Amino acid sequence: MRAAKPVKAGQPNTGVEALGALETVDELRWVEMARAADTAAFEKLYRDNVDKVYGLCLRMSGNVSEAEDCTQEAFIQAWHKLDMFRGDSAFGTWMHRIAVNVVLGRMRKSRREQDRIRAVSEVAPALVTMADDGGLRDLEQAINELPRSARHVFVLHAVYGYSHGQTGEMLGIAEGTSKAQLHRARRLLVQQLESENYAH
Amino acid sequence: MAKAAKLSTSASPARDLWPGIEQAINKPAVPVRTGWHAGWVQAAAVVLLIAGSSGLTYFTMRGERQSTLSPVVQTQALMVEPASASFGSRYNLGPGYLDARRTLSSSLDEHLARLSPEARAAVRESIKTIQDAIRDINNALVEDPGSTLLQELLINAYRDELSVMKQVDGIADAAMYREDI
Repeated sequence: MRAAKPVKAGQPNTGVEALGALETVDELRWVEMARAADTAAFEKLYRDNVDKVYGLCLRMSGNVSEAEDCTQEAFIQAWHKLDMFRGDSAFGTWMHRIAVNVVLGRMRKSRREQDRIRAVSEVAPALVTMADDGGLRDLEQAINELPRSARHVFVLHAVYGYSHGQTGEMLGIAEGTSKAQLHRARRLLVQQLESENYAH
Repeated sequence: MAKAAKLSTSASPARDLWPGIEQAINKPAVPVRTGWHAGWVQAAAVVLLIAGSSGLTYFTMRGERQSTLSPVVQTQALMVEPASASFGSRYNLGPGYLDARRTLSSSLDEHLARLSPEARAAVRESIKTIQDAIRDINNALVEDPGSTLLQELLINAYRDELSVMKQVDGIADAAMYREDI
């Protein structure tokens, strides 16, 4: 992937903006082709976005096989809903919304919450953190052990950067509830990380 | 929170998921079932069951009508468009029924308009079946007004019709799965 050049505050960055616009135009072109039942175009969209979608599914579900199933189902649903993609946001953001819906829908049907916690501790970490920092790995583990509702809010808001309004909309909860769940998640994470530090 | 923002937002699946996706999207198109549609299809199935039950009961008993049953005074209420009588008694339909039927009938078209064409057709067909049964039972009562069995069948058919309309009304108010993506 092309890396964006760092921009100082207040300076125009027409180069990055132009690059972003070009990528958006390209993406819309692929979407239009996919809408015309071009599966090769849809595969291109898949290849460009699968890592983002899978990463989100993995964080929200905490289970590798569940994340794979959710990812596949999200793209299958996206194929059938391409007419609903208006281009207001990036395709990846739109896919995130579908993926969140898929994960929540499957969790409603599943009673494997306890199995999930055990599965995470048995499976080698699939996520690569940007810094090889033991502290981040501890944080990853602590996030995986959060209660489901708190984990979903923390992942979407703190990790993926969605606002509380956007997080609430994706999870079907009020903005205030999102804030309360984030507060709860932070408190639990602090407790978890402090107890691990004490243990070490 | 700052640490959380440093966590990776991407991960590559251990295997290529595209073949499964490609296989699924290349299947013949099937309408995406939503909770809304699933609810209506279920309602239509229940309606068909009720309608079938009413119709089947009538036709089954048609050849077994017993003339020794005690006569029952035929009231004006036992018509396709029932007049008022006391609701809840064995052979009468009352003002409570009429009010409920009037209210539900007036909103039925509005609820049906929200269905898919297939579900709408299924519900209309079921209501028509019940109403055909009501007409046939009334015609039979003309020949055999004393039949308590036919009168009971008629009352049940009216109740079935009301039950269907209530279900349609109730499902219209049910929560939907989010589809506004």
